[in-house]
Amino acid sequence: MLEAISLTRVFGSLTAVDDVSFHVRPGRMTGFVGANGAGKTTTMRMLMGVLAPTSGSVTWNGSPIGAEDRRGFGYMPEERGLYPRMKLAEQLSYFARLHGFSRRDALSRADELLGFFGLEERRDDLLDNLSLGNQQRVQIAAALIHRPTALVLDEPFSGLDPLAVDAMVELLQREAADVPVLFSSHQLELVERLCDDLVILSGGRVVAAGSVDELRSESVERYRVVLDGQDAAWLRDLRGVRVDDVDGSTALLTLDGIEAADLTRTVVERGPVLEVARVRQPLSEIFREVTR
Amino acid sequence: MSTPSTTGPATGRGMWRVVAEREVSTQVRSKAFLIQSGLLLVGLIGMVVLYTFLGDRQQTSTVGVVDEIAATAVDEASTIARSTDDNAVLEAMTYDDVAAAEDAVLAGDVDAALLPAASGEGYELVGEDGVSPTITQSVTAAVSQLVTTANAAEQDVDLAALVRGAEVGQRLLDPDAEDAGLRQAASFIFVLLFYVTALTFGLTIAGSVTQEKESRVVEILAASVPIRALLWGKIAGASVLAIGQTVVLALAGVIGLVATGNLDALGVIGPAIGWYVVFFVLGFVALASLWSVAGALASRQQDLGGATAPLQIILFAPYLIAVTAGEGVRTVVSMLPVVSTMLMPARLAEGDVPAWQLVVAILVTLVAAALFVRLGARVYENNLLRTGNRISFREAWARRAPADA
Repeated sequence: MLEAISLTRVFGSLTAVDDVSFHVRPGRMTGFVGANGAGKTTTMRMLMGVLAPTSGSVTWNGSPIGAEDRRGFGYMPEERGLYPRMKLAEQLSYFARLHGFSRRDALSRADELLGFFGLEERRDDLLDNLSLGNQQRVQIAAALIHRPTALVLDEPFSGLDPLAVDAMVELLQREAADVPVLFSSHQLELVERLCDDLVILSGGRVVAAGSVDELRSESVERYRVVLDGQDAAWLRDLRGVRVDDVDGSTALLTLDGIEAADLTRTVVERGPVLEVARVRQPLSEIFREVTR
Repeated sequence: MSTPSTTGPATGRGMWRVVAEREVSTQVRSKAFLIQSGLLLVGLIGMVVLYTFLGDRQQTSTVGVVDEIAATAVDEASTIARSTDDNAVLEAMTYDDVAAAEDAVLAGDVDAALLPAASGEGYELVGEDGVSPTITQSVTAAVSQLVTTANAAEQDVDLAALVRGAEVGQRLLDPDAEDAGLRQAASFIFVLLFYVTALTFGLTIAGSVTQEKESRVVEILAASVPIRALLWGKIAGASVLAIGQTVVLALAGVIGLVATGNLDALGVIGPAIGWYVVFFVLGFVALASLWSVAGALASRQQDLGGATAPLQIILFAPYLIAVTAGEGVRTVVSMLPVVSTMLMPARLAEGDVPAWQLVVAILVTLVAAALFVRLGARVYENNLLRTGNRISFREAWARRAPADA
């Protein structure tokens, strides 16, 4: 388990990251979300040790993290970085060899990952000659090349089309199913689909952290009621609920004293009903609530 | 290195070798490196060939003769001429009569003619509009020697007794002075070669560091291996290349001198070539870490010029001194680090250098190399992960790096 404990980073008069604590559990995808400038990248760089924290610490499996531990991690920095004028296979195997792979193992590992993305034909092309999407695939391959013990990925999906995202997620699930994975993104619907856990950062502080389900259950429960032709405005007079919105025969309401079963029974008693459904609150709404 | 350690984190130890390997394999395939090496090689071989061509060209003068005595005199004159000028050769061309010999002079077939004098007594040198001093002096001496010997025999005079005590011998106080041209040329080549090689490979190191910063690959590298391993790898890689190129050039010079039959020249500058390789290794390694630092201070290729300027001056100053300074100054500065790489082989090529001066130069360079590498490592670690504007030297030294926790 990778854990950040009270990480703080000050740049001049700006506190970019302020007392940030959270953990990334193995075998779970942890989404790291926050507006631009919330401190995601700074936090990730401190986790990886390429930036020293002003205060606070990082632990790995309960003990203070060391350089050797970090070397086992896979890292995808925010500013993508590979050798532009190096051949793909050569480049990936170089990174593998920096992690102690033998020359032969490094090359076969590089080919394996290139093969996953269908880039085996281009193994001898220069990185520069690839499309941006393909460069991004090579970048994630570089992060996975040494079978990392944890993954820290800064915006790994930005700029990818949905199919490419699916391929990358599949690769992550295959290659890093049982290690802690932290990835930042501001594509909330993507985070919602992929994440088990969530850390929400705002203004350098953690405003919410936990499993996606927990965060959802903490927030208020809403229901949508659709009547068959009838105007739904009467629901406003119903005791124990708060109506947020009415549009013709559809109402959006929050339970405020009665149970869901009571609501359903009451509505059905009044006339024909098409739907009484719990509204799964989209992540974007949780996000807006906690960062407000 | 071939142990299949496909799982688990690397220890980071020995990773500098992998880094160095990449530096070397990337460079040897780059066009710039191949072109530069090729040009240096061609230039060096060209100089050897030029030296051979200029140095070995014989100045053959032909002298027309009509009798046996004159022909012998010309042969004799050739020996005399060579004693003053290594490349002077005189050849006799025999003609049927005086008129034919004179025609040959006028036609330019021969440089002069040694003909019996019109008066009937002795010989005269016949030229078109003048006779070269080499021919005049050597032929006059040869004829007078021949005729004196003949006359002495005829008169029954003991010539040996007559000339006893009249010989003027030769004692050379500085026999090497004869090779002064060669020595100066060699010393100039050493200075120029180190300047060019150190500058090229230095800029290559700095450029490669900056490129990694600019392409941000350095973040991934820094997360994979200790920053010091990166630095060592770069220094080792560039040094292997620079030293390899220097050895190849030195060998090419030696082989060139042997192939063109200039064994005597090799004897003169051979030891200097050997010392050049030794001083090159020391001087280059001392500077290599500073070039990495310059690269780490620049964030983009455009900043490289400014960041490497101080190093270019460090290299150019001794170059100027080597070319312009007087004897005393050269002796002192030739024992300073980096400067010694240029000046010591140059001084060795020009003449003997006391052993203690060589030892001092090597020790001072070793100390400087150790110092530079430590200083370089600190600044490199401090600045490798910093981006943005070019970092000033004061800043670079002062700020503590985001080191591994």
